[in-house]
Amino acid sequence: MARVNRPGAEQALAALPLHPHDFRILMALVEGPSFGTEIVRTIEAAEPNTRLYPANLFRRIRDLLERGLLEDSPTPKDADPRRSYVRLTQVGHEVARAEAHRLNELVREAAALDLLPGA
Amino acid sequence: MRAIRPYRALLRLLPEDLRSRFGHGMEEVFLLRLSNARSPVGKLWVWARAAVDVGAVAAREGWTTMKTTTRGGGMDGWTADLRHATRTLKRSPALTVLVVGTLALGIGTSTATFSVVRAVLLKPLPYAEPDRLVAVWPEQNFNTAMVRDLVAAAPALEAASGVSGWMFTLTGQGEPLQVDGARVSPGHFQLLGVRPTLGRDFRDEEGLPGNDGVAILSHGLWVRAFGADPSVIGSTVDLATNDRPRHTIVGVLPPDFRPVFGRPDVWVPLPLAPSLGLTTDSTWYVSDRVARLAAGASVEQATEQVRAFARDAHAQLDQAIRASSVDVAGVQPLRTHLAGRLGPVLWVALGAVTLVLLIACANVANLLLARGESRHADLSVRAALGAGRERVARLLLVESGLMGVLGGALGIALSFLLVRTAVRLAPSDFPRLGEIAVDPAVLAFGLLATTAATAVAGLIPALRASRAHAAAALAGQGRSASARISSRLATTLVGAQVALALVVVIGSGLMLRSLGSMTSEDPGVDGRGVLVLRPSPPDGRYPSGLAFHAYYDQVLERVRGLPSVESASAIHLLPGTQDNWNFPTFIEGVDIVQGEVIPSVNFRVVWPGYFETVGVPVLLGRSLSVTDDASAELAVIVNQAFVDRYWPGEDPLGRELRLFSTGATPHRVVGVVQDVRQHGLARAPVPEMYFTHAQVTWNMSFWVVARVRADGSPLTAAEDVRAAVWSVDPDVPIGGIDELASVIDQTAATTRFVTVVLGLFGALALLLAAVGVFGVTAYGVSRRIPEFGVRIALGASRSEIVRSALAGSIVATALGLGAGLVAASLSTEALAAALYEVEPTDPLTFGGVAALLLAVAALAALVPAWRAGRVDPVTALRGD
Repeated sequence: MARVNRPGAEQALAALPLHPHDFRILMALVEGPSFGTEIVRTIEAAEPNTRLYPANLFRRIRDLLERGLLEDSPTPKDADPRRSYVRLTQVGHEVARAEAHRLNELVREAAALDLLPGA
Repeated sequence: MRAIRPYRALLRLLPEDLRSRFGHGMEEVFLLRLSNARSPVGKLWVWARAAVDVGAVAAREGWTTMKTTTRGGGMDGWTADLRHATRTLKRSPALTVLVVGTLALGIGTSTATFSVVRAVLLKPLPYAEPDRLVAVWPEQNFNTAMVRDLVAAAPALEAASGVSGWMFTLTGQGEPLQVDGARVSPGHFQLLGVRPTLGRDFRDEEGLPGNDGVAILSHGLWVRAFGADPSVIGSTVDLATNDRPRHTIVGVLPPDFRPVFGRPDVWVPLPLAPSLGLTTDSTWYVSDRVARLAAGASVEQATEQVRAFARDAHAQLDQAIRASSVDVAGVQPLRTHLAGRLGPVLWVALGAVTLVLLIACANVANLLLARGESRHADLSVRAALGAGRERVARLLLVESGLMGVLGGALGIALSFLLVRTAVRLAPSDFPRLGEIAVDPAVLAFGLLATTAATAVAGLIPALRASRAHAAAALAGQGRSASARISSRLATTLVGAQVALALVVVIGSGLMLRSLGSMTSEDPGVDGRGVLVLRPSPPDGRYPSGLAFHAYYDQVLERVRGLPSVESASAIHLLPGTQDNWNFPTFIEGVDIVQGEVIPSVNFRVVWPGYFETVGVPVLLGRSLSVTDDASAELAVIVNQAFVDRYWPGEDPLGRELRLFSTGATPHRVVGVVQDVRQHGLARAPVPEMYFTHAQVTWNMSFWVVARVRADGSPLTAAEDVRAAVWSVDPDVPIGGIDELASVIDQTAATTRFVTVVLGLFGALALLLAAVGVFGVTAYGVSRRIPEFGVRIALGASRSEIVRSALAGSIVATALGLGAGLVAASLSTEALAAALYEVEPTDPLTFGGVAALLLAVAALAALVPAWRAGRVDPVTALRGD
C-alpha cells in the first residue's frame, strides 16, 4: 500500500473494505457509464450464482452516489430517458483499485498459509 | 407487463426519494428477474424474494429515518407507533382476535403442510451425496447374481446393493421376537456412506456362502433387545434362518440411520457363490436395488446401460424376465422413487394450502380496510396536524405488523401441533414419515409466510388510508369518495376469496368422492368379526413341508375348539396385504403360441373352510374340503375374473390347469368363487387360483383366520386365540393380530389421509370465505344506513332494501364462482393420480361445490342484509 500520495487516495483507504456487492457494482462500471439492468447483467455474467434484487441494488447505488464514488452520467441520446445512468468518479476508481490491492494482499497471505493448494 | 402494477404498489413501501429517482430502474430489474424464471414456482419465488428485498430495504431506511427523527422529536418514532398500535388493538379485541386467528390458521396450516412436503420431496435423503443415489429397475425382481453383474454391465453405476426384506425370529432372548430384517449386499452401508457407531461394517468376503454368518443391528433393536450393551459385538445371536441359525453381531448402526426400504432392524449379507450366474442362482427375492451413480454420470446414461443389461438378461432367461419388464428397465433418482405416487398429491396439497393462506390474507385485508374506514376521522386529524402520508401508512403498517407477529407466533405454534397430529394419523407406509418435523427450514418458511401475509394484508389498507386527503376528509367529502373506492376493493377481494375457496373445496370434494367410491367397492370378503394372525415358525424348526403343515393342523384344531370361535381356517397370502405369488400356468383351451408369454396367474394356498370363514361365496361347483388330500385328484378353485378372462361363456367345471410346465400333473377345477380385492380396494380383481394345502405341501407360513361368534368381540377373543397357538409351540412368534376388516380398510389409508388433509383445508377455505362475505356485506350495510333510512322514509319496502344490500356481495360471489370454476378445471388435473373412479373435472363435484359455496355466501350475506331491512329511518337519519 504505497500509493498514498495519489489524488483521492486517503478517501479511498477510508472506504475500505468494501462490501462485496459495492465492489461488484464499481467493477461493473470500470468500462464506462451504465444503468440498472445492464449492471445486473454484467455482475451476474461474472458471478452466475449471484442474484441481485432491485431495492437493495439501487439502495447501494444511491449510497455510492452519496459517498462520491459514483456520479450521475447523462443518458445517451438513443436510450430510454427514464434510465438513470451512473459512472465511476475519480475517487470511485481509486477505491476500486485500492480494494483490489487489499484483496490481492489477502490472497497472497492465504497462499502463504497454504490455503490455496495447487494455485 | 401485468406484473408491474403489484410490484409498483410494493415499491410504495420505500421512501419517496429512492422511489422517484430509481423506481423505473427497479421495475426494469424486477422484470428481468421475472423473465429469467421459467416455471410458475420460479416466478412465485422471484415475487417472494422481491417482497423480502423491498421489505428489508424499507425497514432499513425506516430505521435510519427513525434514528434521525426521534433524535429531534421524541414521540414521533417507531416506539411511539408501537405503543399506539398496542393500545388500538386492545381497544377492539374482537377484531384483533379475528385477524390474529385468521392469520394463525393460514400460517399454521401452510407451515405444517410445507414441513410434510419438505420431508418427503425436498429434503436430501440422509445419506452421503444423496443426489447420486438411484433405484434400479424397481419393477423387476433380481437374483443376487444379477446384482453382482449389474455394476460391470453399467459403468455409469459406481456401486449397487440388492435389498431383500426378510422376517427374522430372534430366539433365546426371552419371548421369541419377530423382527423385520433385510439381506443386503456387503457394500450396502458403504454405498450409502453410513458407518456403524459400534463395531464394523460388513466385509466383501462376507458375501460368500460360509462367511455370511454376521449381522448388523439397528440402534433401536440394540437398545430394545440388548439393553444397549456394547459387549454384544462379537456375541452370537439366533436368527433362526434355514441355512445358518447363528449369526455373529459385528456392528450397531447410528441412532439417526434411516433404512432405504422398509423398516428393518437386522441386516445380514446376501450371500452368493462365485460360480453362480444369472441362470443358475435361485435367489429371486432381491426385490429392491439402490445404486450410486459414478461421478459425472447421468440418470439417462445409467438408464440406457441398465436397459441393455435387461435386454441381455431377458435373452438368457425370458421366463423370469419378461419383455414388458425390459421395456421399463432403467434407474430413477432414489428420492423420486421413494416419494412414489404421493409426490404430485403433496404438491397439490401445498398449492391448496397456499390458496387458503391467500384467502386468509384477503380476509385480513378486508377487515383492516373496514376498520381503516371507521378510523377515517382519527387519521384525517393526524394528517391535518402535519403527519405525512408515509407517516400515516407507517402507523397502520405497525399495527398490522404487530398483528402479523402475533398471528405468526400462534400459527407456528399451531404447526407444531398439526405436524404431530399428522404424523400420528398418517398411514405407516407413508414415505419418509420419520423425517417429518418442524425444523429450521420449515420455521424459515413460516416466517416468510408470516411476513408475506402481513405485508399483503396490511399494505392494501395502509396505502388506501394514506391516500385520503386530509382537508377533504375533514370537510366530510373525502369520506364517501374514498369509501367508494374501498368498497370496490373490498368487493374485488371477496370475489377473489370465493374463487380461491372454490378451487380448494372442489379439490377436497373430488378426494371425498374418490374415497367414497373406493370404500363402497365390495372387497369380496366379509372381514368384520374375522380375527387374523400369523404364527411364523422359525426357519428350520419344522424341517419338512409336511411337518410345517402338521403344525398348522394342530393350531387350527385348538383354535376351532375355542368357545369364542365359530370357525377357523388359514391362507398363505392374506387379502389386503401386498404380498403376491404368481406362476406360469398352462390353461386348458388357451393355446400358447411359440415364443409368446405364458399366462402368469395369482396363486394362493388355503385350508378347507377358508371361503366359508371369510365369507367368500362359492358361485359354481363346490368348495375345497378335507377329502382333497394328497391321495385324491388334484383340485383347484378359480375366481370369477379367471373364468371371465380365460373361459368366457364356457363351463369351467372339470377343466384342467397345469403349473409351470405342460408335463405337470393337472389340477381339475372343482369350483368358482366370487372375486376378492386382494391388493386393496382400489385394485380391480385379477384372475386367481386357490389350491388346498394338502396338495401343495411346501414349506411356508400361513395366516390363521378365525370368525368370532357374533356375541363376542374379535379383540377379546384375540387373547384366547394367541394362547391356543402358543399351547402348540411356545417358541413360535405371532405377528399381525388384527381384524380382517381393518386390514382391508388400511389399503385405503393413504387416500383417506389425503382426503382428511384436503377436507380440512376445504373446510377452512369455506369458513374464511364465509367470514369474508359476511364482513364485506356487514360493512357495506353499516356504511349505507343513512341511505337506507332515506329510502325507507320515501316508501321503499323492506325486501327491496334487503335485495339492494345483498346485490353487491352476490355479484362478487357470482364472479368469484365463475373465475373459480375456470381455475379449478385447469388445476384439478394435478390430483388425477390420487383419484379413484372420479374424473378430475367431475361435473357433479364442480356443480355441487359451486352451489354449496353460493349457499354459504348467500347465508353469510343475508344476516347483515336482513339487518338493513330493519333499519329505523328516524335513528338512521339522525345518525349522520
